[in-house]
Amino acid sequence: MFDIIAVDISGRHKVNDEYLMVCAAVAASVTADHIEKVNQIVLRSFRSKSAPDVPFVVKMVETTVSELQFGGTIVTEAGDFYNKPQWLINSMFTQDIKYQESLSERRCIEIAHHASLSSRKLLLKELGIQ
Amino acid sequence: MMRAVLVKRNEPRYEDEKNELQMNELRELAGAAGYEVISEMTQTRNPDRKYHLGRGKVEELAQIVSDLKPDKIIFHNPLSTMQIYNISETCRCETIDKFQLILEIFATRATTHRSKLQVELARLEYELPRARAVISILKKDERPGFMGLGGYEDSYAQDIKNRMTRIRNELDSIQKDNESLRAHRHSKGFSLAALAGYTNAGKSTLFNALVDETVESKNMLFTTLLPTTRSLKVRGRDILVTDTVGFIEDLPHWMVDAFRSTLDEIFLADVVLLVVDSSEPFEVIRKKLLVCHETMWDQLQEVAIVTVFNKIDLITDEELREKMDSLVYLAPNSVAVSAKTGFGFEELKEQIRNLLPEWKRVKLTIPLTEEGMSLVAWIYDEGLVHDINYTDVISIDFEARDKVINKAISLVNELL
Repeated sequence: MFDIIAVDISGRHKVNDEYLMVCAAVAASVTADHIEKVNQIVLRSFRSKSAPDVPFVVKMVETTVSELQFGGTIVTEAGDFYNKPQWLINSMFTQDIKYQESLSERRCIEIAHHASLSSRKLLLKELGIQ
Repeated sequence: MMRAVLVKRNEPRYEDEKNELQMNELRELAGAAGYEVISEMTQTRNPDRKYHLGRGKVEELAQIVSDLKPDKIIFHNPLSTMQIYNISETCRCETIDKFQLILEIFATRATTHRSKLQVELARLEYELPRARAVISILKKDERPGFMGLGGYEDSYAQDIKNRMTRIRNELDSIQKDNESLRAHRHSKGFSLAALAGYTNAGKSTLFNALVDETVESKNMLFTTLLPTTRSLKVRGRDILVTDTVGFIEDLPHWMVDAFRSTLDEIFLADVVLLVVDSSEPFEVIRKKLLVCHETMWDQLQEVAIVTVFNKIDLITDEELREKMDSLVYLAPNSVAVSAKTGFGFEELKEQIRNLLPEWKRVKLTIPLTEEGMSLVAWIYDEGLVHDINYTDVISIDFEARDKVINKAISLVNELL
């Protein structure tokens, strides 16, 4: 079993002249094809006036992951970092990070995606933003 | 044998290793389609809108073509209709890309009605977005005036759409037959296992060795294009093993769709045997496993996977251990086998047995009557009988699926 942290960010598009984003980090223990246990989920919201560039995405991911009590390799979709090569992104992080590979990593990112998307919807509803 | 020139545009950001692997795969694909490679050409640059490669490079290609007279130019990269037209015009030689090459392989090997339909559908899906452009280019000089030839262009595209609908309907009805066959096999107590993996991983050789069959297996890409199913007894349980078509990198989704009914064998199995060629370098195995995970990701629901490291007779124990340890995060339930020597088959069967859907074990007492005897015969068909005693009554100890056990209990209650 391996410990991973799957991360996904929702809301990378302009709403009311700003970017309202929610980053979800899912700490889980996985095997190659199954999730054995989801240890913790952390959600964090971010606001920005301009479109998020790579350094800002790195900051969002690092901030969210730092709130987890469990460790592991951060796993994301390559698209979250604008398909930049893995070595470039590695050099920007203080922790281990990799793009998704196995079925279980993909499944974990799916969980993170559902968590970030639904919490962002709730947040927008609470804030009265359509 | 037809002769071909292979051309590849390398992405500026890609590593040399990756480029070499892709070129190698193109070489093997060309070989599988029956081409003799007489020359190769690569260029590292971003794509050109008109020629895909740089204009100078295409002129160089034209020179090679006029010297060597190949039958075809095969590009690794997907080309647009305009690019194909421009390159063909400049080089005076038929130009195809990798997907057309794969389609050619599939078309030459398609033997059954179903596979022919699938190939035809894949070809039409490829052709549809190009249909209008092709007509437009071909009839460029014949346009009589404003909006000329619009009718032709539309009717050709419409014709393709109609043909696609007809083929899809026909494939759907074949699909339904297969689904009911699969449900029937499940209800008869068979569990389903499918051999999946990158093309040329040795699936057919493993299949032949496992079930003692003589399906065609060659050191060639896409030798298998039709799923073949045979039964295999694993520790008392009957399973049906299916040999399937291999995966390949960058296989476009429309092609996956066209061969869905072939791939369904994998997606609807109880256990997937993911075959890996362990004699290849570590990085190649990793990349191929990634392609397999990616292809299975969208379709595979909670299915147990056994990773079979095949061809271990070609490497040392130390190499194998190193590869298996480094790939553990991509290779669930690994087993090392050699389809050639038969090494590791027992462990593989044990692993398959452990992952098959669970059967329950029960003891029943059945009246010793004619109906009781036919019930016993039915239990023998559907499950695994561990012990049976005939006294005044029949005491039977057997293992079977939930459905079978419930049916047996209700039938016993009726007989009492």
